[in-house]
Amino acid sequence: MAGVRLEHVYKKYPGSDKASVTDFHLDIKDKEFLVLVGPSGCGKSTTLRMIAGLEEISEGKLYIGDRVVNDVAPKDRDIAMVFQSYALYPHMNVYQNMAFGLKLRKFRKDEIDRRVREAARTLEIEHLLDRKPKALSGGQRQRVALGRAIVREPQVFLMDEPLSNLDAKLRTQMRANISKLMKRLETTCIYVTHDQTEAMTMGDRIVVMKDGVIQQAATPEVLYNHPINLFVAGFIGAPAMNFIPGQLTEENGAVHFRATGINVEIPEGRAKVLRSKSYVGREVILGFRPEDIHEEPVFIEASPKSVVNANIEVCENLGPEMYLYLTGLGKDNVIARVDGRSTLKEGQNVKLAIDMNKIHIFDKDTELNVFEIE
Amino acid sequence: MTKAKLQQLQQVLGAPVVTGTMSLADWERIGGKKDAEIGDYVETEDGVRLITWTEANELQYIQTEAKLTPLEKELLRWALRQQSGKPGGGTDLERQARRLGEWIEQRILSGQTHAEVPDWLEIRGKLFDGMIPFLLQNDQAGDREPAYSELEKVLRSFLSDEMLLVPLQEREWLILGPDRLLLEVDSADSELVDHEETKEALFSLATGLHEMFTEQWGGECHVAVGEPIIPTESLVRAVSELRETIHLGRKFHVGMQVHMPWAVHLERLLNDIPEAARSRFMEEMMARLDLFNDPETVSTLDAFFTMDCNVSETAKKLYIHRNTLLYRLDKLKQEAGLDVRSFNDAVLVRIMLLLYKVTKRK
Repeated sequence: MAGVRLEHVYKKYPGSDKASVTDFHLDIKDKEFLVLVGPSGCGKSTTLRMIAGLEEISEGKLYIGDRVVNDVAPKDRDIAMVFQSYALYPHMNVYQNMAFGLKLRKFRKDEIDRRVREAARTLEIEHLLDRKPKALSGGQRQRVALGRAIVREPQVFLMDEPLSNLDAKLRTQMRANISKLMKRLETTCIYVTHDQTEAMTMGDRIVVMKDGVIQQAATPEVLYNHPINLFVAGFIGAPAMNFIPGQLTEENGAVHFRATGINVEIPEGRAKVLRSKSYVGREVILGFRPEDIHEEPVFIEASPKSVVNANIEVCENLGPEMYLYLTGLGKDNVIARVDGRSTLKEGQNVKLAIDMNKIHIFDKDTELNVFEIE
Repeated sequence: MTKAKLQQLQQVLGAPVVTGTMSLADWERIGGKKDAEIGDYVETEDGVRLITWTEANELQYIQTEAKLTPLEKELLRWALRQQSGKPGGGTDLERQARRLGEWIEQRILSGQTHAEVPDWLEIRGKLFDGMIPFLLQNDQAGDREPAYSELEKVLRSFLSDEMLLVPLQEREWLILGPDRLLLEVDSADSELVDHEETKEALFSLATGLHEMFTEQWGGECHVAVGEPIIPTESLVRAVSELRETIHLGRKFHVGMQVHMPWAVHLERLLNDIPEAARSRFMEEMMARLDLFNDPETVSTLDAFFTMDCNVSETAKKLYIHRNTLLYRLDKLKQEAGLDVRSFNDAVLVRIMLLLYKVTKRK
C-alpha cells in the first residue's frame, strides 16, 4: 500500500494557452479514499489520468509511495483503474476476466485461483464465475470490473466515474458497496465523480476542482459546513446553498445584513469578525443552507432578529421533507427545506427565521468566505 | 523501414529518402548485382538506391538524392546489414509479419487496395479464411513503442494462439483473430446467424481489446474492427478501410476510442464534401448552432439518434422520464424550429451535430 503525492503538478496541452490543471499540490495518505469532484471540464479526470500515466505531466512531480513515477510506464505503476465504460473481455467468462491480468504477470495458478475466488466472494459474484459477460446484468458487470482491479492487489485504485453507466437505484447500492470494499481492502483510492452526493457519501476527503484549480480539499463535513468560497458553497449540497447579495450595515450597535425583503441581525461573535475585516458598509453575499431557514414557531420565537417574510411559489413534497421555493427574499428564489408533514401550501405568505449562527458571508469581489479566511 | 526511421535517415542525409519495390530483373537492368543482398546499392539518375530487403523475385529499396561519398555508401550498406541481421529483428514470425506490413503499406500507397497477398510472402501460409481484422493505434506519448514480441505474447494470450500481429506504421498494428471468437462471445454457445448480433459481438471484442490494452498495457489507443475477411484476398482493403474508420471516428466522435466502419457511413460522406460546401451549410444553420453549446442538449440528441429516434428507448438510456425527454425535444423545436421526431428535421439536426463537433474544435 502507498500514499500518492502530487507536487505542484501542471497539465498543459500543446497549442493551448491555458493549463488544464494548474498547480495541483496534494498529499493523499495511504489507505485514504479521496474523491475528486467538480463540474465537467474542471480537470479532475485529467488529474486522474496523469496519476495513471495516461497523460504526461507537463510540470511538477508525482510520487506513488516514495517513488517519483513521472517517467514510469502506466503498467509499471502498480495501480488498478476502473473506468466509466468498464468493458469486460466478452469472449472470456467472469473467472477468466478476473484472472487475465494475473496470468499476464505470470502469477502461479493456485495464487490466481485464490485471489479470484476471494475477490468474487467479497463482491458476491462467486455464482457468476462461469458466466460470459453477455449473460450478466449492468450491476454484475460493474462488480466484475471491480473484481478485475481488486485481484491485482495494487498500491492504488483509480476510479473514473465508475457508476455513471448505472441506473439511479443500482448506483446508490454500488456506492455503498465500493465504500465498504475499500474500507475492507485498506488501499488508497482516488475516485473521480461529478456527482456531489457520491463525493459526500464516499470520500474520506474531497477535493473540489474548478477550471483546473483545487478550490478546497477537506473532509465532507468541513466542505459542507465551512466552504472556502462561493463556488464550493454552491457546488456541495443539494438543494444548493441560498445566496442573497446585499449590504452589511451597522444599526444600533449591531451588524445587519440588508437586501430586498430581508433585514437580519448578525450575532455578535460573527459581527466582530466582519468589523475587524472592515466588511461593515460593504456589498457582500449572504449564504445559508436550505435547512438553516426554519418555519417552526418555537425557532421563530427564539430568533426574533432573523425573521423574514416570504411567499411560497412552489412546494415540493418528497415525503420525509418538503422544499419550499420562496420569493421576496432578494432577487432569486430561496429554497427552504422543512418537515414533510408541514401544512404549508403554495401561494401562502409565510414567516420564517434564518439560523444566523450557520450563515456564511462571501466577499463580492473575491467570492471568498469571510469567516473561513485568515 | 518505419516512417520514423525514414525521417531520421532524411535528417542525417539532409535530403529526401523514399522507399519502393522492384523486381530483381529490374534491379539487374539498372546495374545491380545478380545475387542482390541487403545493403547493395546502385547509382541512378535520381540518386543512390539501396536494398533494404529481398524476397524471391522482389526487393525493397530506399532511394536518396543526397550526394554520398563512397565511404558514406559503405557505411549505409553496413548499417542496413546490421539492421537485417540483428536480434532486434525478432523471430522468423516477426520478420515475416513486418514484411507483410511493409507490403500492405506499399499497396496502400500505390492505391492497389485490391491486391492479393502474394505467394512469396512466407506468412501467407498462416492466413486462413475467416479472420477478424482489428486495427490498433497506440497514442501513448513519450513512451517507447511496445516490442513486437511482448505485444504478440499478450495478444496471443488474450485472443487466441491463431492470432497474427502485423506491424504497420509506427505504433500501429493489424491484429488478425480467428472468427470463432464470435462464438465465444455468445454465452449460449450457439451459432451466430444474425448479422446485427455479429456486429454487436465484433464491437464488444474490439471494446474488450481496447480495455485490455489500456488496462494491462497502460496506454491510450484507438481500435477499429471489421467483419471477418479472407485475408489473402482483402487484407489491403481491410487495413485501408479500418484506418479510414479510425480517422473519421477521431474526427467526428471525439472521446470514442472504438470505431466500426459500419458506424461511420454518414461521417465518410460528410468528410468528402468540399470544405466550402460544408462551411456554407454551417453558415446557413449558424443561428441554430448555439443550441449545441448546451451539453444536455447534445447528449440528449446523441442518445436519441443512437436509439433510432425512439422516445421510450432514449428515455430509458438516459435514465430520465419519457415526459422529461419530450419536454427537451419540444424545447428544441421551439427554439430551433426543428422537430427531431420528424424525419427531415432529424436528418438536418444529425448532420448539423456532426459538423458542429468538427468545426467547434477548429
